[in-house]
Amino acid sequence: MDLDVAESEILGLIGPNGAGKTTFFNVINGFLPPASGKVLFEGRDITGLKAHKIARLGVSRTFQATTLFMKISVLDNIFTGYHMSYKTSVWERLLRTPSALKEEERLKQEAMEIQKFMGLGPLKDEVAENLSHGHQRILGVCLALATHPKLLLLDEPLTGMNPVEIQTMVGLIKQIRSRGISIILVEHDIKAVMSLCDRIVVLNYGRKIAEGLPEEIRKNKKVVEAYLGKEES
Amino acid sequence: MTLEIVQLIVNGLGMGLIYVLLAVGFNLILSIPRIFFIAYGEFYLLGAYVTWAMMARWKQPFLLSLILAVLVPALLGAITYRLIFQRIQYSERRFLANAAAAIGLMMVLKQAALLVFGTESRGLPSVFPGILKFAGVTISVEKVVLILFALAVALGLYFILQKTNIGRAMRAVSFRADVASLQGVNPNRMYLATMVLGCAISGFAGGIMAPVFAISPSMGAVILPVMFIIMLGGTGSMLGAVVGGLILGMTIAFGQYFIGSGVAQIILYAVIGIIIFFRPGGLFGQAEEMGL
Amino acid sequence: MAKLKRWDFKQINRLHSKLLGLFISFVAIAALPLLVDSPYYVHLLIMVGMNSILAMTFILTLRTGFVSLANAAFWGVGAYALTLLVTRWDLSVWLALPASAVITGIVAFLVGIILVRNAGFAFLMLTALLGMVTVLVFGTFDVFGGYVGIVNIPAPEPIKLPFLPPIEFISKTPYYYLMVLLFIIVVAVLSTFYAAWSGRAWRAIDLSPHLAESLGINLFRYRLLAFVLASAVAGLMGGFYACYFGAVVPSTFDIFKTFYIHIYAILGGIGFAFLGPVIGSFIFTLVPEVLRITKEVEPIFTGLLLILLVMFLPDGLLSLLSLSRRPSHPGENMERIVRWIKASPRPRG
Repeated sequence: MDLDVAESEILGLIGPNGAGKTTFFNVINGFLPPASGKVLFEGRDITGLKAHKIARLGVSRTFQATTLFMKISVLDNIFTGYHMSYKTSVWERLLRTPSALKEEERLKQEAMEIQKFMGLGPLKDEVAENLSHGHQRILGVCLALATHPKLLLLDEPLTGMNPVEIQTMVGLIKQIRSRGISIILVEHDIKAVMSLCDRIVVLNYGRKIAEGLPEEIRKNKKVVEAYLGKEES
Repeated sequence: MTLEIVQLIVNGLGMGLIYVLLAVGFNLILSIPRIFFIAYGEFYLLGAYVTWAMMARWKQPFLLSLILAVLVPALLGAITYRLIFQRIQYSERRFLANAAAAIGLMMVLKQAALLVFGTESRGLPSVFPGILKFAGVTISVEKVVLILFALAVALGLYFILQKTNIGRAMRAVSFRADVASLQGVNPNRMYLATMVLGCAISGFAGGIMAPVFAISPSMGAVILPVMFIIMLGGTGSMLGAVVGGLILGMTIAFGQYFIGSGVAQIILYAVIGIIIFFRPGGLFGQAEEMGL
Repeated sequence: MAKLKRWDFKQINRLHSKLLGLFISFVAIAALPLLVDSPYYVHLLIMVGMNSILAMTFILTLRTGFVSLANAAFWGVGAYALTLLVTRWDLSVWLALPASAVITGIVAFLVGIILVRNAGFAFLMLTALLGMVTVLVFGTFDVFGGYVGIVNIPAPEPIKLPFLPPIEFISKTPYYYLMVLLFIIVVAVLSTFYAAWSGRAWRAIDLSPHLAESLGINLFRYRLLAFVLASAVAGLMGGFYACYFGAVVPSTFDIFKTFYIHIYAILGGIGFAFLGPVIGSFIFTLVPEVLRITKEVEPIFTGLLLILLVMFLPDGLLSLLSLSRRPSHPGENMERIVRWIKASPRPRG
């Protein structure tokens, strides 16, 4: 398994179920150590670093299963994502100095902007678990964005969405890319993958079996076999 | 010197097997109905006191007393399961709720026993008086009988769990209760059966140790070392419970002789702490997520 | 922040009801010892205060997803710290009090570095071990006075105020006011942490540790922070206990006391960081008094209470009022209480 992502690129990662796509994300993210090999981010070796350190370096992700802070509001959810962005010192924050309070205001404003950007503006005080599935997935992406990532790992963002929601999400992903963020997209919806991704990597049984432009992948025999099983001879 | 060591080994074995029985029973209740049954020590106490009451007050023979020492705690266990724990089994935060209820039960039973049986320690006249002497080593007959009884029950338990249908059903439920129910096993019945079995073991342990060691109202505190045996040996691991119990028995016997029980206990706990730190699953167990 | 508009009656009412509530409670608390005739009841109030703070510390570590069984142990560390400082090294009690908090915090830090790394269950077991070892250590080594403990711990030195007679710590009443002071300080400090970024981080860890981690929150650091803070506060209470009681005995700080601390918290409702512990320890301490439960029967009462709670009211008493566990704005719970009070049937004039 060997791949790389360029800046502002959307790389698609596809493969049959169980191919190891989420595991791959877990390794990059820091949740799992790799069995072998290295992960390099912006020239720096991040293999084996703890997840929160990797997040600080600019790698962010969403989860296959909707993972949010369910019991708090949408705004609070996103605001939590700004955890790393504090510039004031610990003491200033504890003593609630004017500069600390100003910073909180500023971060709250940023959180509201991301909300609007992703189209969740009117829902800002709604408790996360009350949102519709589609909105929850979008919120998940908001959270990941709040950390000002340079690389965003999207794990099946379109699962369980209706066509309208899918449209919205696809548009949003394109907008994220236009902000200069690189994206690795794991998705089963082939149409979306084809339209969004600049390049595609195909995994099967934990190994890379194909890599290239969407058109090439579509025609690649190995890929078809992997998804449909070997043809009966 | 070697004679003393053999003596210590026998003593350690005697106490150790009691710990083994208690640890195995505690483990059963922990793995299957998932109750961190801290009240377990009180059932041990109950078994001992029932034996005492039968033999000292009502002058009944030992075997009959022992049978009652098993039945009374078992019955009490069944009642408490039905009244208290059954309700909790399907709620959120089930493990914590079970543990909290067990704490409450422990308080009630401990104090009730104190009020009913009084504060002094009691003793029983020896059931199997006499001493064995061979190769220059002196062992009391009753300790040997204790060891034999305990071994017999331990082996019987092993047999039940591994070979019989109900044992398999229990183990299936501890593994995946929902899957087991698909196979036609009623998890609630298994939980009840496990409670009964576990409390029966505890009562038995209390019953056989009553003539050999002293009975006191604070006997229930034995649950604390038992908890640590489980931690050391690994939750859910019977082998761990056995090994842990024996190690504990030996350590206390040797420790008391050579060092003095306070320092020995501290060292023992420190060692257990270190082991848990490096192997949170204990020596043999798989690190189980208890769903906290 | 929303500005207080002149015509926004809802907001004004909200503010007024909060202030009113605060004022009434302040006066009531200050006057309490005067209203109550027997020193025994003052003692009870002091214990309520102390127990509620101990319960708050339990909830603090619980908020990060860790159940600690070492609460009473750190309480004990603080108590013995003050005792040794005052009896052996002749330190003034007023210096020893904050010192006991600091010392306990340091001990918690050193222990926490090892303990907090583990998963929840291992943490539970290790803190249980810690609880047992602490009592053993206090009992075994003579420097701590062994199982008999240490007695004749001096009271705090009298406070000399200008123009007023010195406040001497002889009767229970001065201790009561000291407890109130400590209570206010503890609640102020804890709320500062809860309201700030640290509280948000704790909330995130509590709700979803994985997500929190992937957002850059260092789980270990924040759990350690909660652990140390909780233990330091418990230590402060221990120091108070030592100079109030005048004696320390190892068995006071055993794991059973920790269970009681948990009960105070559970009784009130573990969703509530401050109100729950206060209500829980208030009811737990005073109800047995009212029911005239003797010392002999008390554990039975407590045990039954715990069992019933866990079976029927697992979210504690406060859940009866359907207060929200996480208010969407500060003061929401207070508003609800006031509304509930106002809504109770009253004869129409």
